Order: sequence, then C-alpha cells, then structure tokens
Amino acid sequence: MTLLEIKDLHAKIGDTEILHGINLTINRGEVHAIMGPNGSGKSTLSYVLSGREGYEVTGGDILLDGESVLEMEADERARAGMFLAFQYPVELPGVGGMTFLRAAVNARLREEGKDEVDQLAFVKLVRAKAKELGVSDDMLKRAVNVGFSGGEKKRYEILQMALLEPSLAVLDETDSGLDVDALRIVSEGVNALRGDQRGMLVITHYQRLLSHIVPDFVHILAHGKIIKSGDKSLALEVEENGYAGLIDAAE
Amino acid sequence: MLPNNLQQTAAVLAARDQFAATGLPGAKSEPWIYTRLQEVVVNPAQSAQAATSPEAGLILHFDNGLLVSGDVAWPAGMAMRVFTDADMADFAAYLPEDHLLGTLSVGHVTSAIVIEVEAGAQITELLTLRFTANVADQSAHPLIFIKQGAGSQCRIVEHHESHAALSAPLIVMDIGAEAVLDHAKMQADTDSTKHLSLTVMAVAEKADINSFTTAIGGQLARHETHMHLNGEHADVALSSIYMARGTQHQDMTTRMLHQVPNCTSSQLIRGVLDDTAKGVFQGKVVVARDAQKTDGQQMSRALLLSRQAEADAKPELEIYADDVVCSHGATVGELDETHLFYLKSRGIEADEARMMLIEAFLLDTLETVRLDELRASLTTAIQRWMTGV
Ligand SMILES: Nc1ncnc2c1ncn2[C@@H]1O[C@H](COP(=O)(O)OP(=O)(O)OP(=O)(O)O)[C@@H](O)[C@H]1O
Ligand SMILES: [Mg+2]
Repeated sequence: MTLLEIKDLHAKIGDTEILHGINLTINRGEVHAIMGPNGSGKSTLSYVLSGREGYEVTGGDILLDGESVLEMEADERARAGMFLAFQYPVELPGVGGMTFLRAAVNARLREEGKDEVDQLAFVKLVRAKAKELGVSDDMLKRAVNVGFSGGEKKRYEILQMALLEPSLAVLDETDSGLDVDALRIVSEGVNALRGDQRGMLVITHYQRLLSHIVPDFVHILAHGKIIKSGDKSLALEVEENGYAGLIDAAE
Repeated sequence: MLPNNLQQTAAVLAARDQFAATGLPGAKSEPWIYTRLQEVVVNPAQSAQAATSPEAGLILHFDNGLLVSGDVAWPAGMAMRVFTDADMADFAAYLPEDHLLGTLSVGHVTSAIVIEVEAGAQITELLTLRFTANVADQSAHPLIFIKQGAGSQCRIVEHHESHAALSAPLIVMDIGAEAVLDHAKMQADTDSTKHLSLTVMAVAEKADINSFTTAIGGQLARHETHMHLNGEHADVALSSIYMARGTQHQDMTTRMLHQVPNCTSSQLIRGVLDDTAKGVFQGKVVVARDAQKTDGQQMSRALLLSRQAEADAKPELEIYADDVVCSHGATVGELDETHLFYLKSRGIEADEARMMLIEAFLLDTLETVRLDELRASLTTAIQRWMTGV
C-alpha cells in the first residue's frame, strides 16, 4: 500500500529553486535510500517533506496516505506520522529533555484521541528505550541536545523516533558522526522499527550504513533531481565509482 | 493610618512642594527618555475599601495605599510601627536627591510604616506585603521602611494587584552587616493601572541579598531599584522577568552603586514582549574609586514575539576603580525559527512550542530565585501569561 508519493516536486529556498521535479513512491514496508553529492538537495527534500517554513513548494505534490500534506504545518505532518531525524539536530538550551519527549508523545496521543502518558510509566519507557540506544540517563536529564557530542545527538534522534513510532521516517545522514559501535546500535534501533506498516527514507553518503539498514531501493539525487534508481547494488556502484559517471550519463 | 498628621511634616511638605514645582519629567529628562509619563493621576486615596484585611498570618495588606491589616502575628524579633516624624526624616535621607519617584510618594504619602528586624533574629516565616486597590481615579503612596539588624535573616514578598490610577510604593531597606535578605516582588496590577515604584536598599558589609522581580501587569510600570553597597564583601543578586503585551509598557531601571571594595553584584533581566508592548532596561553600575575588587555583572535579554514590540536597553558602566571585573550586555532577539521547527517537527503545536521556548528563555533567571515556596507560583503566573499569547 502506498505510504508516500512525491510527484514532480519543485521547491525553492528564497529565490533559488533547489528541487527540480522529484518523483518517488514509498510503499509501506519499504526502505528507500537516497544518495547524492553534497549540495544536491537531500536535506532540502527532507525539510520540504516535513514542512519547514521558508521552503516553498512551487510545483508538484506530496501525498501521505493519499492525502496532500502541502497545506499542513510541520507539527500536523508529524502528528500524521512523519518523522525527520535531522542531519544537524538542534540544541534547545533550557528545554528539559523529558519535558520535550513527553510533549511530543502527548501531542501524538491527543491527535489520536488517547489519554496523555502517565508520568512515571513514561519515564520508565524512555529509560528502557534509551538504554537500548546507548543514551545515558545523564543525557536524558540535560536540555535537549545541549552539550551532546555529534554521535550522541544522532542516538537521541533515533530515541525520539522509537518513542514516536512514525509511519514514515526520514533519516538525514544519521550515520555521520557515529563510531562503528554506535552505527551498529543505531542501525539496530532503526531496524527494530522496520515493519510492513512503516516506510523509511534513509539519506546517506555511505554504503556502510546500508549494509546495516539494507534498503529495498536506492536513488541517486543530483542537482535536485533523481537521476537513477536501482536496488542496493547501486549503492555499491556509487561507493566504487563515485557520482561523476552517473551524472554524465544522465545529462 | 497616619497619626501625628504626618502629611503635615516638614519632609512631606517639602517633597510635595518640590513635586509641584518640578512636575512630570519632560521629553528631555534623561532618566525618563524611554518611559514617558503623561497623564499620571496624583490623587492620593483617603480611605481603604476594606476596613480590616481578612487575611491571617504574617501579611501586611495595603488597600488603596492604606494599611488595613488588623492584628498581625509578628514573630519574635520582628515588629512594626507607624512612622514618627523622626522616621520620616530618616527615611527621606535614604532617597536619592531630587528624584521624581521620591518626591511623588513622600509628598503624597497615604501610609507609612517601619518594620524592624532585631539584630541576629532568624525569621524564616515569609512576610507578605500585599498591595490592592479599587479606585480607578486615585493613587496609592505607601512608604515602607524596613530596618534589618546585623546578622539577621528575613524573607519578604511583595504582591501587587492594584486597580488604581497609580500605585507608587516607596520602599527603603536598610540591611545590616552580615544580614541575609530574600526578597521577591510580583507585580500583576490591572492593565489600566500605572505602577511607579522606587526601592532603595542600603547594604552593609557581608550582607547577602537576593531580590527577584516578576512584572506582568499594569498599563505602564517602572520598577526602579537603587542598591547602595556601603560595606565590604556584600553580595547582591538582582533578577527580573518582565512580560508585556497589548500596549503595556514595562521599565526596569537599576542603579548599582559600589562604594566600597570587594562587593559582588549580579543582575539578570529577561523581558518578553508581544503585540506593540514596550520594554525598557536601564541599568547603571557605578564603581567608586575606592571600590577595588568589585565584581559587577549585568545582563539583559529581551525576546520580541511580534514585529511591533520594542525593547530599549541602556546598560551603563561607570567605573572609577582600576582593579575590577565588570561586564554588561543587552540583547534583543526573536524566537529562533530553527528551534521552533525542531519542536514542531516532533508534532508539538506551534503555541505549545513557543511556550516551551519562552520558558526556556526565562529559565536561568528563574533559577536564581531563593524563595523556594514562590517558585511554583512564579511558574504558574508565567504560564498563565503565556496562555494568553
Ligand atoms: N537557506 C538556504 N538558502 C539558500 N540556499 C540554500 C539554503 N539551504 C540550502 N541551500 C542550497 O541548497 C542546495 C542543497 O542543499 P542541501 O542541504 O539540501 O544539500 P544536501 O544534499 O543535503 O548536501 P549534504 O550532502 O552536504 O548534506 C545547496 O546548494 C545549498 O547551498
Ligand atoms: Mg544534507
């Protein structure tokens, strides 16, 4: 069943068009990977999907479960099941981690017409999931992302994902900044969420991540367009030969 | 509440004459550049609504500027009396010369009391000063003189909830050597009330003062605080949070006078301004030539929630000593779009996200409050203010 449909998507930041007509369909149960050179528009695509202000869609559509999300604010899209693991997670000085996690989970529960979380049970749940992902109690007590190392921030993103259980997860370079062990732990966290009800879009530069989170499809994004799609072997090809040949062939 | 015809004493008459002669500050008056006083109604209330306050406990209740508390259960070591002529002269001596707010309220005094804390008295019970009014065309001018003996400890909170043309309390605190004072002011007057307060603290050696102001009410409010550090090794922490919306105007004006060596002062000021509200911070730190080893810090930050809101800041250092550590700073900014997006991307609604970020902005200042029992009500007041955002 179709989860996400991106149709001929054009988007600009300010006066500059960055995405020049992207088409991509993700069915429930599928994991898609996007690779592409620096500046090709991968993060831009992730922001446009999640509804960041300042990223203007000038053409095409984005459908989640068959419904256009273009008129929805970022928070509505999130409550509709979208999740973005940021390439650069944002530090929020003064915003307590637990307060933040609880607010996010409660927003989701309210949307579903359910009761808000029980405080104590929630703390237990968070601690348990945090432990699996190597997020320390100390990190949970601090302000969101403040003073976290690069790798710790990435784990914290995955912790949020695990708590929110989104139907569509977009992971923007979640592997960057992770050491070998962390990469394995985080990948296990992601894989644990794989299932026939969920779809994932994994943005990465490295085949290494894709050997842990094995994708069903791999797409190459260059200059704001998908220039080639294939299976996981495409990632290996990129790793060996780089993008130049692929980009030349597309032009 | 004014025996001895206090209104006819020399100090009062002199102040009234001076106020009449000087009038309200003009457009060029330096201390009032950012806060213009037009149409200030000076019409001292003659009577209180409530004959006696029903409140029990260690509470002094001023209604329309008149003391209405009946029997207060004073703890041992703390006592109150009404001003004598001599008290009035004493009190006036602490006030800055030719100061508008001084002459205004001395000249139109509605009640005047002295609270004395004996040397060495450790008073843990919180003294509440409650200011109410329900006289839309009158003004309130209570004078409060707190004398805290050496080595004593006391805890004081002011609650301002007046509906009046003008609420203009004048408070002088003389804080003895090695005394400890925890003080808080919660100003939540109605939004048709003007609030013009002057608080002067004279601080002796090794005194330890923590004072916190939360200002969320009034049409126009000026909170002016003068700290005179007169004894070495005194330590003063002065923090304020102000929040204003609509056409409200909040003004935090401080003067930190380091007269002697080895004192520490720190000031944290945070303002949140919405709609066309205006916030003012004027903070002057003066370090006298002898006041070596002074540590004087001052930081003001204002958060604008709307494009039409305005924050003016005038931090000033006037340093005549050469061996000091002083810093000051003032910033004005908006909520960070990236922060908002991060919260929204987790499903948190825009309003709630904004509230979380405003609370975060106020947090480090809020954490300086030493009156623990106030913390919860401060947070509630701030949250209530924000739900109106
Ligand atoms: N706020 C902005 N204003 C103008 N141009 C921008 C802005 N943000 C990004 N861009 C431009 O958009 C293009 C795509 O950037 P994007 O961050 O999406 O690339 P990316 O594929 O994620 O790169 P990387 O692999 O380095 O993360 C770049 O040319 C970048 O300079
Ligand atoms: Mg990127």
